[in-house]
Amino acid sequence: MPLKSNLFILLRLLVGTLLIVSGLEKLVSPYQNFLYVIQNYALLPPLLEELGARAWPWAEFFLGVFLVLGFWLRWVLRGVMATFAVFIFVVAQALVRHLPVNECGCFGDLISFPLPVVITFDTALLAVTGVLYYRLRETIRFSLDQYFNDNART
Amino acid sequence: MRKSSKLNLTLGIIVFGVLVIAGVKYLGKVLMPSHVASAAMRVKGSPDAPIRVTEFIDLECPACAQGAKYLAQFMADHPGSVRLELKYFPLKMHRHGLEVARYAECAARQGKFWPFHDLLLERQANWSRLMDTAPAFALISGEVGLDPQRLKACLKDASVDAFITQNRLEGENRGVKSTPTYYVNGKMVVGINSLQSELTQLLNASQK
Repeated sequence: MPLKSNLFILLRLLVGTLLIVSGLEKLVSPYQNFLYVIQNYALLPPLLEELGARAWPWAEFFLGVFLVLGFWLRWVLRGVMATFAVFIFVVAQALVRHLPVNECGCFGDLISFPLPVVITFDTALLAVTGVLYYRLRETIRFSLDQYFNDNART
Repeated sequence: MRKSSKLNLTLGIIVFGVLVIAGVKYLGKVLMPSHVASAAMRVKGSPDAPIRVTEFIDLECPACAQGAKYLAQFMADHPGSVRLELKYFPLKMHRHGLEVARYAECAARQGKFWPFHDLLLERQANWSRLMDTAPAFALISGEVGLDPQRLKACLKDASVDAFITQNRLEGENRGVKSTPTYYVNGKMVVGINSLQSELTQLLNASQK
């Protein structure tokens, strides 16, 4: 298999694993910790903050799982791009509004980054996910989608 | 056929994922040892108060200073309604977090925790910028009337660090990650916004 195809699979696994770790870290600790992070960004009304704190980690986790497995890839990649776009917007507005947010809370207690680093990191991830989506034919290799496609043909 | 297998597999993955997370959370609760530190000297408010608040605090954390101000005002506005207990949770990101907890604990052992705590948080913006905080803490200690000799001995006492560590472990076991984290009648709330809404709700409920 050409090196380039391996690279797409590797990138898919990397982005997926990142989302799994990020979601898992938030899911195993009390949701109030992530609620506090969301509140710091001062963007949503209380009800949506509460909803976001409960639902977002699940979305992150399952997007990661489905990305690693390569299942429903077209939809999952769209979801992942939307996720990173949301991250970039949320962090950027905090920087523009000079909100007193010292670290992103993206990985809970595991890793802590200052906001400008987070924007750069998320932009890079958005770009990588965009490439994976654009080159879906390579990204789909070694995936459940490919398995189902091959079975449908035979 | 193909679509229904895909949907079945999707459902299977989701159910499996939920079960794994639930299992990890359950194991975390079962396997974590419980550390409940006694904090009798760091308690204020009526013992019969209907609202019981336990706060995990890092005395260098600016949000904790705001939270303390809010709580003090709330307790003054609604006397007898809140019983507050403080536990140390010095964060690694704050360079003086552990040191200031040591001073506060030593003040507690001389029965001066609350005046020391109030002055510390009032002047937090000043001392938190310093490289060497010892002179600032010595000044505050003097103002609240701590015995300097006992304070000096206390700061070297290993049981002080052990108590702070015990508090922190208790917090970690209860899922505390950041400060200020409160337990209001046993319910975890993180940050002042959540504390405000929880206290308001409880107060409204008790007045009905």
